[in-house]
Amino acid sequence: MNPLPMVIADLRALRWTAAAIVALVALAVAIGVAIGAQERGLRQASARAADDFDLLIGAPGSQTQLVMSAIYLQPEALPLIDGRLINELSRDPRVAAVAPLAFGDIARGHPVIGTTLAFAGRWGRLQPSEGRLFTREGEAVLGADVTYRLGDKIEPSHAIAGHWPKRGVADAEEASHRHEGHAYVAVGRLPRLGSPFDRAILVPVESVWEVHGLGNGHAGEDAALGPPFDGQRIPGVPALVVKPRAVADAYALRARYRQGGTMAFFPAEVLVGLYRTLGDVGQVLSVASVLNAVLILAAIFLLLVAVTGLRRRRYAVLRALGAPRAYVLLVVWLGMAGLVAAGCLAGLGLGAAATLAVSGLFEAQTGLRLSFALGRPELAQVGLILLLGSLAALIPAALSYRQSITAGLRG
Amino acid sequence: MPASTASEQPAGAARQLRFSGVQVDHRDGDGRPFRVLDVPEFTVAPGALIGLRGPSGSGKTSLLHLAAGLFSPDAGSVGWGDVAISTLPGAARDRWRRETVGFVFQDFHLVPELDVLANVTLPASFSGWRRTAGQVARATALARRMGLADLRRRAAVLSRGEQQRVAIARALFNAPALILADEPTASLDPAHAAEVGALLVEIAAESGATLLCASHDQALLARMQHVVAIGDGPLHLKEAA
Repeated sequence: MNPLPMVIADLRALRWTAAAIVALVALAVAIGVAIGAQERGLRQASARAADDFDLLIGAPGSQTQLVMSAIYLQPEALPLIDGRLINELSRDPRVAAVAPLAFGDIARGHPVIGTTLAFAGRWGRLQPSEGRLFTREGEAVLGADVTYRLGDKIEPSHAIAGHWPKRGVADAEEASHRHEGHAYVAVGRLPRLGSPFDRAILVPVESVWEVHGLGNGHAGEDAALGPPFDGQRIPGVPALVVKPRAVADAYALRARYRQGGTMAFFPAEVLVGLYRTLGDVGQVLSVASVLNAVLILAAIFLLLVAVTGLRRRRYAVLRALGAPRAYVLLVVWLGMAGLVAAGCLAGLGLGAAATLAVSGLFEAQTGLRLSFALGRPELAQVGLILLLGSLAALIPAALSYRQSITAGLRG
Repeated sequence: MPASTASEQPAGAARQLRFSGVQVDHRDGDGRPFRVLDVPEFTVAPGALIGLRGPSGSGKTSLLHLAAGLFSPDAGSVGWGDVAISTLPGAARDRWRRETVGFVFQDFHLVPELDVLANVTLPASFSGWRRTAGQVARATALARRMGLADLRRRAAVLSRGEQQRVAIARALFNAPALILADEPTASLDPAHAAEVGALLVEIAAESGATLLCASHDQALLARMQHVVAIGDGPLHLKEAA
């Protein structure tokens, strides 16, 4: 038997109703998919952005704030720690590498970060996609999304905490805080990291100190960049990134620099706390989206039961013409399950589109690139909706199966 | 069992249709039972063309439904040759109906969203997955015989006369040995009623099928070999007027 001609006829009879049903199921599915995928994407992207930051050291205060400032480059006024710690740590046998992060300046809305050559290349992991890394004071390496071009002159300004400038534009606020007489030259560009550092301008930390009139931290004017800093006076920095040699070293270092006027922690600790909150919110949202899907399915189910009731006569005629019971059962069931399935498929697509759109907005806001992938949880959720919908469709199908033909023909 | 037939081959020859001691009871609004049909003995010879006459509610439709095996009588039996229709189990009865019966309704009951060809070949989809070239050819020939030229028109846009022609072609598609028609001309204007009635009787006679046709239409009843009155005493065959 081939119930498809009748299924198609039934769907054609429904026309706009069928389209509306598919759209409703698709919306319900899309919301669930988007919430799940978004939450996971945010988790992965934020974790990836923290990849090169094994251990952070800063002045005692909020760990979350230091993470937001040092890794996600949200401007905040942070207290400084003694610059001599850089020398101490670079001599420490437990430390594979250490780099200062000196933030606080912006240029055309891009954060200017003072650090070392080694960290600019992410401990040797990155090669510039254009040009080269900085080799002397006054040179700058651009993140992938920075609007300057190689060779451009970059004039830094003092960033004001709480002032969120538009990137690519030097606004009046920025112009009024310009460090007069100082400029960097862009000499290279880094490949895309998918993190807020794509918008940052990396410069030697010595230059940041110079710009603020603190000297360069070295004994001579033309000393080689980077540690050790042998100057009379080594200026402070808001944060140090430490790459420990081994896991045990990491814990030892964290314990050591938790005292004596500093705090030390693994950014992962902070992220785990954030993710727990994020996960709770995500769970609430996905429960809400499942309830939402169930409500929509229930409404559709009632609608379809009513439609099937109106078609009693049509199905009775089929039976009088010789159609077996199973044929009518299949016609009713396939029609409904088909609508739900089409809605689920469309919902996956719509959910993907919604996720991409939200991710785009999110990236514009934060610089975190959320990679989108439909994960097993989303597919399982859609599968569940499909299963529930198909099972629910069996009820009206079974009702028409049991329907007496003579009663149906009487209408 | 009748010879099992593929739908493009002619169905088994018509057999004797026999009602014995058939009683059908319904309940009225107050729950009191009343007898709808009481047929002690009624036999229709193979290939006979029989008109059923009787006032509304006299049980004409119930008699047709019994003959098609759409329900079982409260007492008695309905037989087609040696097949006891009234006691066949569900699936076998569906199959017997598909292979033996062609049904024509007063209100046509086409599927408005399907075109003429799909409506005529609809019974083929009850048993097969694809409609064969032979089935399409047969449906086309039937439609032509019924005076329908354009097979691609949707049933919804046909006139009432055309719709009943399509319905008759559909009823004949499986080459039924028993054609049941319930007021086939009652929804048509007199001109269409005459044409459609004539075609129905002609085609039934050509194919050698038994025709049982309930109607108020004197002109249609006059085309039958016999007319049976329901509602005034035991059924018996009378020569058509």
